[in-house]
Amino acid sequence: MHPHICLYFQVHQPYRLDDLRTTDVGQHKPYFDTQKNHDIFRKVAEKCYLPANKLMLELLEKHAHFSIAYSLSGVFLEQCEEFGQDVLDSFMKLAATGKVEFLAETYYHSLSSMHSLPEFCEQVAMHSEKISDLFGVQPRVFRNTELIFNNEIAHIARMMGFVGILAEGADHLLHGRSPNEPYVPPEFYLPEETHWNIIKKNFPNAHPAEKIHVLLKNYKLSDDVAFRFSDKSWIGYPLKAETFTDWVMSSGGHNINLFMDYETFGEHQWEDTGIFEFLRALPQVWEERGIRALTPSAILEDWKHNTNQAIGIAPKEREHVGRDISSILEALSAIWKRPAHVPSPMTYREQEFDAHLPVSWADTERDLSAWEGNRIQDASLEAIYEMEEAVKATGDPVLITEWRKLQTSDHFYYMCTKYWSDGDVHKYFSPYDSPYEAYRRFSHAIHDLRSRLS
Amino acid sequence: MKRLHTLMFGWEYPPIHLGGLGVACQGLVRGLMSNGVKVTLVLPNPDAEREGDLDVLYPTEEMLNHVHIESILSPYDTFDSYGMRIHTIPAGRQHIYGADLGEAVAQYTAASVEMTKDVHPDVVHCHDWMTYEAAARAAKYHAKPLVAHIHATELDRTHFHPNEWIYNRELKGFTMADKIIAVSNYTKNILVKHYGISPHKIHVVHNGGTFPVAETSHKMHSQYGYKKQPMVLFLGRMALQKGPYQFLDMAAKVHASRSDVQFVMAGDGDMLGGLIDESVRLGLKDSIIFAGKVTNGEAQKLFSQADCFVMPSLSEPFGLVALEAVAQGTPVIISKQSGVSEVISHGFAVDFWDTAKMADCVLTILRDDALAQQLSSEASRVVTQLTWEHQAMAVRSLYHNILHT
Repeated sequence: MHPHICLYFQVHQPYRLDDLRTTDVGQHKPYFDTQKNHDIFRKVAEKCYLPANKLMLELLEKHAHFSIAYSLSGVFLEQCEEFGQDVLDSFMKLAATGKVEFLAETYYHSLSSMHSLPEFCEQVAMHSEKISDLFGVQPRVFRNTELIFNNEIAHIARMMGFVGILAEGADHLLHGRSPNEPYVPPEFYLPEETHWNIIKKNFPNAHPAEKIHVLLKNYKLSDDVAFRFSDKSWIGYPLKAETFTDWVMSSGGHNINLFMDYETFGEHQWEDTGIFEFLRALPQVWEERGIRALTPSAILEDWKHNTNQAIGIAPKEREHVGRDISSILEALSAIWKRPAHVPSPMTYREQEFDAHLPVSWADTERDLSAWEGNRIQDASLEAIYEMEEAVKATGDPVLITEWRKLQTSDHFYYMCTKYWSDGDVHKYFSPYDSPYEAYRRFSHAIHDLRSRLS
Repeated sequence: MKRLHTLMFGWEYPPIHLGGLGVACQGLVRGLMSNGVKVTLVLPNPDAEREGDLDVLYPTEEMLNHVHIESILSPYDTFDSYGMRIHTIPAGRQHIYGADLGEAVAQYTAASVEMTKDVHPDVVHCHDWMTYEAAARAAKYHAKPLVAHIHATELDRTHFHPNEWIYNRELKGFTMADKIIAVSNYTKNILVKHYGISPHKIHVVHNGGTFPVAETSHKMHSQYGYKKQPMVLFLGRMALQKGPYQFLDMAAKVHASRSDVQFVMAGDGDMLGGLIDESVRLGLKDSIIFAGKVTNGEAQKLFSQADCFVMPSLSEPFGLVALEAVAQGTPVIISKQSGVSEVISHGFAVDFWDTAKMADCVLTILRDDALAQQLSSEASRVVTQLTWEHQAMAVRSLYHNILHT
């Protein structure tokens, strides 16, 4: 039995900040550099989104056993509406094939999971609503910003009704085990009252899931494509679809999760590296070798079928679930009262992915140090989340939106000084001269926002 | 293996030096010696600080009898300031940075072969235009490769209005040299763009330094609840190249937002009078102190007291002073038109003409402690890496490459 492939691409663009000055504080000028955001969006659209979507459409139509998943951030979708209806249309076409799954995430691609549960829940609900408005399907699998994951987030996602969640297949949590099958988070109870009260206010799905599976990124194979593809000093260079498929097959397991930024195609790896030809060749080679590319949901269905595991809410509980919250609560209390995962002796014992501390897919550390840890990052995060209550109390939708756009993780990523001197990837991705410039612009926006509260 | 031997033509050298050239030259000499390179140093005067097995050669009265030149130039002056130069150079030093620099250069050049005829170097290395012709003659005499080190071009000093005579001497030196060492990519680009030199001939070796480490951070004040008046520092010669007028412009903009900020301009130079007038005109009379020329110790103290250091140079081949500030844990805002901006990554780099942005960076540093502390703690690491011992290794490798290709 060959492993299945699970392809998921992250599609996101932040709102980059304008060159604000201290003298602008209190003037309520726009915080974001519309021209720059437009220019970058159009550049990436021409280099990546449009050609990649065109190719994907061709591949989806041609190859029966080829499906893919995207997570489109809310701020990306808004920029589509602002700068690139053509890009949005091309995603609609992909959706129309019925072979594309759209995942849930925080609307603002934020770090709210680490800082504010109410805000996190609101943003996830907002995003699910946006996706279902645009593509007509309610997401069932959740992907947190930059694959930030811990046990608590897994259970919160489960209570929000998601049956799957994506995470980095971090070595230090796998302890030598393969990332190539669905895992489960360890059993434990969230502080029921507080959490449930928050979550139920923003309930993207009709009911919680009985259990949630964790799909782990195979970072070796993913990064072969995303990072090493055009690296001439890499032993695998030049990478061919056949060779890559050999590696996939020898990696074994149930499913191999290839998770990467969509911008890999044409933007990080330029067209002249042959990345599009590589992508074009893959489904053909997979077809010949009997490998299927499934969506995350399909992977989990297949896993359920193979392991006799119940996925999603149990049918019995489902019957009782009505539309009103009280009946949902009643039905659900049964679920919370027992562990998330109760293996029966007859079924396959699923492996636990125990992330006591958060993991992410960023940097070699695979932790949160890309966004927090230095003084300017911590001061910025503290500043933005400490004004949550005051911002929401205004009830001013414009102000709340501005505040949320400032939560996008990229703002904090640009402030990272970890390897700043060595010219690392943070420098490559940053639209600003330095982490300090990123902070200066952000800090002015925060000061202005604060002035709008009083 | 035979020990590499470099015959080095320098101009200023501690204790007799006016600017960064002497300091860099001494740093390189020490660095090369610690990397096992034998150095024979040729200087226009005999007063250099000796150490290790450094040989110092200089022209004797006897050698100088036959030369005479009229022009008066120094590496830091234009024709306009000759008069000033003659008065400001201490009497005891006039014999090297002469009342007539042109004559001294000519003497030095004329005596170059005579001085070095008993030396058997592997390579000849020279520093800035004053030494190029002398070194070229010596290189030719010894039939050895010539390395021209460029610390500052005439274009840097004059904001691209060069004295043609000096420009031509520089150009000739660059042309005759087998390899050129530039103190930054910034300078390399000037050589490529404005002197038409092939980039392949130019190697960048950033200056090193030995920096006294800060004893206590000025940030201690706020820790103990003592709120002092914020201070913003300029330190450098009051000359066009260093951007003192840009500093005043910036200061006026900061002052408009925060009148409590104190500005200190340390250093002297022929523009001092005009700057004082300008500061009054800008309404900064009570907010600015012109500290005059300061000693190294005073400079360190100023750095440690400053909340930020601004180096708005119009064209700065390197800018060691910014590293001195960084070593004291002082946040820096430096001109993008500088070499040091290539090595200081934890600071703000701003175009020298963008004084509004410069002012905004200052105001942000003064407003946000997190930023000031982050800059202070991160930036100083670079000075531990940028030692002359380390930088001289690159020079030694360059020697090897020239000799073995």
